[in-house]
Amino acid sequence: MVEQTTENTTDWMISRGQVSDTAVESLPEQSTTDQIFDVINGEREPIHTPGSIQPHGLLCVLSELDFCIKQVSLNAANILGTAPENLIDRPLSNFIDGDRLAEIKACLDPASEQTNPLNFSVTGDDGVTRFFNGIVHRAISGEIVLELEPIAATAKRDFTQSYRNIKDTLAKIQVTKTLAELCNLIVKEVRQITGFDRVMIYRFNEDGDGTVIAEDKQDNLETFLGLYYPNTDIPQRAKHLYLLNWLRLLPDVNYQPSPLLVGEAIETTDPLDMSHCVLRSMSSCHIQYLQNMGVGASMCISLIQQQRLWGMITCHHSTSKFVPYEIRTICEFLGQLMSTELSVKEATQNLHYKLQLKATQVQFVNRLTHATDFLQALEESPDDLLYLTGAQGAAVCEGDRIALIGKTPSKEDVTNLVVWLPDRFNNDLFVTDSLPSLYPAASAYKNVASGLLAMAISKTQHRYVLWFRPEFLQTVTWAGNPDNPTHIEADGSLTISPRQSFAAWQETVRLKSLAWLVCEIEVAIELRSLIVDVILAQTDEMARVNLELERSNMELDAFAYIASHDLKEPLRGIHNYSNFLMEDYAAVLSEDGIAKLQTVVRLTQRMDDLISSLMFYSQLGRTELSRQAVNLNALVQQSIDTLKISQPQKPIEFRLPQPLPTICCDRSQVSELFINLIGNAIKYNDNIEKWVEIGFVGSKIVKDGSQVSHTFYIRDNSIGIPSEHLERIFEIFKRLHPPDQYGGGTGAGLTIVRKIVERHEGKIWVESALGEGSTFYFTLSEAVKL
Amino acid sequence: MIASPVISRVQPLLLVIENNNEDFETFQRFLRQSSLAIPVYRCINGDQALAFLYHTHPYAEPEPAPRPGLILLDLNLPGMDGRELLRRIKQDNELKLVPIVVFTTSNNPKDIEACYRQGVNSYIIKPMDFSLLKRSIQTLLDYWFDVTVLPKNFL
Repeated sequence: MVEQTTENTTDWMISRGQVSDTAVESLPEQSTTDQIFDVINGEREPIHTPGSIQPHGLLCVLSELDFCIKQVSLNAANILGTAPENLIDRPLSNFIDGDRLAEIKACLDPASEQTNPLNFSVTGDDGVTRFFNGIVHRAISGEIVLELEPIAATAKRDFTQSYRNIKDTLAKIQVTKTLAELCNLIVKEVRQITGFDRVMIYRFNEDGDGTVIAEDKQDNLETFLGLYYPNTDIPQRAKHLYLLNWLRLLPDVNYQPSPLLVGEAIETTDPLDMSHCVLRSMSSCHIQYLQNMGVGASMCISLIQQQRLWGMITCHHSTSKFVPYEIRTICEFLGQLMSTELSVKEATQNLHYKLQLKATQVQFVNRLTHATDFLQALEESPDDLLYLTGAQGAAVCEGDRIALIGKTPSKEDVTNLVVWLPDRFNNDLFVTDSLPSLYPAASAYKNVASGLLAMAISKTQHRYVLWFRPEFLQTVTWAGNPDNPTHIEADGSLTISPRQSFAAWQETVRLKSLAWLVCEIEVAIELRSLIVDVILAQTDEMARVNLELERSNMELDAFAYIASHDLKEPLRGIHNYSNFLMEDYAAVLSEDGIAKLQTVVRLTQRMDDLISSLMFYSQLGRTELSRQAVNLNALVQQSIDTLKISQPQKPIEFRLPQPLPTICCDRSQVSELFINLIGNAIKYNDNIEKWVEIGFVGSKIVKDGSQVSHTFYIRDNSIGIPSEHLERIFEIFKRLHPPDQYGGGTGAGLTIVRKIVERHEGKIWVESALGEGSTFYFTLSEAVKL
Repeated sequence: MIASPVISRVQPLLLVIENNNEDFETFQRFLRQSSLAIPVYRCINGDQALAFLYHTHPYAEPEPAPRPGLILLDLNLPGMDGRELLRRIKQDNELKLVPIVVFTTSNNPKDIEACYRQGVNSYIIKPMDFSLLKRSIQTLLDYWFDVTVLPKNFL
């Protein structure tokens, strides 16, 4: 229990800060709207120095040492039976026992165990003795302040009764499991102890907006449960007072403030700072607000967690209602108890949530670790990905690939968004609950992506994960219109009217999503670092595997070369000795014998071709590219000439629709490439009028601008390729026709072509219509020369 | 030891370094069909060839092996292969006078370039085709033993 007394501050929580009609009317005509809003928002109103008190008690300021009355509230005649002017400058000892004076002194000494309230009997000038709870404190401005609350005999409460109440409540609090249970219990207990018509608990979110999360009320009252109150409801100054005081009481909304009478000697000093005064008068705006709400009395208890205002317990009564000091002490105690319990409950709840998140995250990352494809792995855990940040949709981008999960903008929209994003990242993270306000194009898909949480895993590789949240408009049920209720009058002037109704008002919060919670953002950050770790590990592994692969490829190439060389040796022997046979034994061999030997010779030649192809192919993989500027027009012309020489009998039309570029490539390999492809176009062609077209369809910058990739094509009116064979034609020694058709061939040509394209960091593919022709496309990358 | 007695005119010795018996027999066959009477000595690898050229064991006694007028060299040999043998010969001030013709199945550009860099006098790829092979060998023999003048055989 704190030693400091509980005191009133303005109950701003439900105040909209409106001023009454009369207040507006009383403003000078020339008053600007700015000034009006200063009054309205209360930020400039000196709520801690109102200079008046609520009249149900008496406040006096005492001088140091002699305890003479230096300031006193004007209601002294009502409370003490003595006119205020007769009290000024008189010593307090005129009215109370000397013992009590000692207690007051003790109360001001922080080392003393004396606590508020002090039980006083005060005898006024009228000779009547009255009983009070005396509350003593030193004001922030330095003065000694004594506040007296009359004790009604009926309201006096037995301490043991209070103790029993607290003990029961404490026992119940301890068995609550969740925050919701705790809140529901507290509102019930506070209402039972105090007898208010309505007791509710507000909770503030990150933005300072309040929500009613628990309520206990008389059945006939309209429920406020679930209502939202915007942050602007509570001026910062009022928030500060909430932290200073655990409890504030307003016994009668319709009270007449009682100003302080200040002794002449100190009239020039600063006004009394009443931050800690239980009787401090409330803001007129707030009073008006409560009156409109139909509230006759209110009490408010702060819920504080780690020096921050977590929420508050607010009590409303339809008529005036005084709550005695002892009951307030119990309520304050409950507030403090709940505040400590909050941490436990929230920690448990958070712990549970965080453990769940953690488990999900671990599973998720495990899957990523074992995945070979980052994008696919993310895609395959759609629920987890959304759960981790509480998003409704997500997009996973890798290079040009985009995978969409849940409710998201279209692929095209995401593509555009990803172009806009990279400059917005801060530490590889970009978070907003109002994307359309930063990126207007997002207005079109605000219903899925008003909120965006994006992380960059690799900007260079365009690896991003984006989480989306929809516009949040259906769910906000404000306690009345949260906008200041301004009206433009017929003459164009601006007037402000206090809200007349507190009926729920569904606001359309446009272009905003629910805010991303700190813990959700933390998950994204953690996830990013885990993914980066996984990728790094995979990169390491990949590098190792690549090295291994390179080594084994080289071994394989070397093997193919050596093996083919060794294979050729006996083959040559067979070939030569068959010829010897034919030469030396021609006389004794029959015609059939000669024919068979000729077949042997033919087969050895074919085998030699196959082995030669294999050797050439293996060499392609092993030899360094010797890149140089090559004029493809000249190269293609040479290739055509070569082919014409080898097949002079076939009339072929060669079409070159546009000049080919000069590119940086391996001349002999690219020459081989064109000879093979053009050769095939001629070879697999049954038409009388054969044609081959060689051209290119475009070029683009690749590898972050360091290279240009050209897309070439070779089109013909050949026999075409059945679609089921389109992939197989690139396999080595794969032929679609018997060796004696279409001029034979080893079936290595396209494999060699593909190898050459791959060595030039390109791709090759084919489009073909059976009986109409084929088009082979391939790309060749060349380093951009600066 | 020294084969093929001189028939019409005294030809310098042809040293054939070839490990493959069938290939050598094929070569001999085409040599026989030639009008030239060329004495041939065959070594099957580089080590043997070096011993022959340097008159070391087993060629030291009783009479030293003659210095060849031309060396026909296969590249792929067991033990010391043709590439290494070529390097050794061309590094020797005396031996490098002897022309060397590489006669191999290797069409590897690296081999071709390396051999010429070492100072080989001719590089011939053994054709697979029987008639082409025949023509190659005949041309080779005609060129080196009929058309050109080989260095003097100094014993």
